Amino acid sequence: MDDLDKSILTILQRDFPLERNPFDVVGRKLGVSGEEVHLRVVRMKEEGIIRRIGGIFDREALDWSGTLCAARVPEDRLDDFVSAVNALPGVTHNYRRNHEYNVWFTLLAPSREEIDSILDSIRRKTGVDDIIDMRAVRTFKINAAFDL
Amino acid sequence: MGENTEKLTEIEKRVAAVIETDVGDSADPFRKIAKRAGVDESTVLDIIRSFKERGVLRRFGAVIRHRRAGLTDNAMVVWAVPEEAIEHAGRLLAGRPEVTHCYERTPPFLGIYNLFTMVHGRSGSLKDIVAGLSSELDVQEFLVLESLEEFKKESMRYFDT
Repeated sequence: MDDLDKSILTILQRDFPLERNPFDVVGRKLGVSGEEVHLRVVRMKEEGIIRRIGGIFDREALDWSGTLCAARVPEDRLDDFVSAVNALPGVTHNYRRNHEYNVWFTLLAPSREEIDSILDSIRRKTGVDDIIDMRAVRTFKINAAFDL
Repeated sequence: MGENTEKLTEIEKRVAAVIETDVGDSADPFRKIAKRAGVDESTVLDIIRSFKERGVLRRFGAVIRHRRAGLTDNAMVVWAVPEEAIEHAGRLLAGRPEVTHCYERTPPFLGIYNLFTMVHGRSGSLKDIVAGLSSELDVQEFLVLESLEEFKKESMRYFDT
């Protein structure tokens, strides 16, 4: 990635032009053609630097509930547990982490009651009882736009 | 569906269902969205602007894979902060570009770690970043939870019916 790539990504993350030809607008800001910007976007998408282009909705504005879960999963149950958790549409992030609570995932659902019932069913299905869920009570920052 | 999801109009939900996916890399993304949602392009642009104004959309744009973009040193860092210091600590952490997410959570992890952050840095920089934050916050009790393996990472589909 060169400096122009980084400038393009910064604009496309934070200030994507809501115009019919957005890359022309970005090009004008950066002193290059819209075609140049578009070619680089296509390349960065191919390289996997850009995961997707689209909207990020606000969970709270949509009045959905969310939580972060940490589970203590024995190694011999890990594959089954991960498959069961990953199969849930409300799970968007799931990682193995360096702690005895070794599996950490986020879970979203339309209501708190549904989160509780999804977690109960995961416990029953996998035999993994030790899952703690930690609700956000205050949000200080959500910003998945990166300074490059 | 959460209550407010129902407050979107049918046309808004159709546009929402398209833009919560990957709209692709064409030179005219809003025309492509319009086609998929079955509305015209200016309606798509109006709806996205309105979503942003109403706070329904946090943002519209590129979502990057930070590791491939050079930010390879990342961790969840959880801090044990006294209740009366949470507001100050949360604001301080939120002000840092290396901190992309910061929440107070309950119950606290292991009974004490109540402030949760995602911290991102270039290769080899995380340790110093976290040490710096610790001394500034005057919080010595924290855990650096590194991701050893990614099992799933996706964007949420709220409108997938």
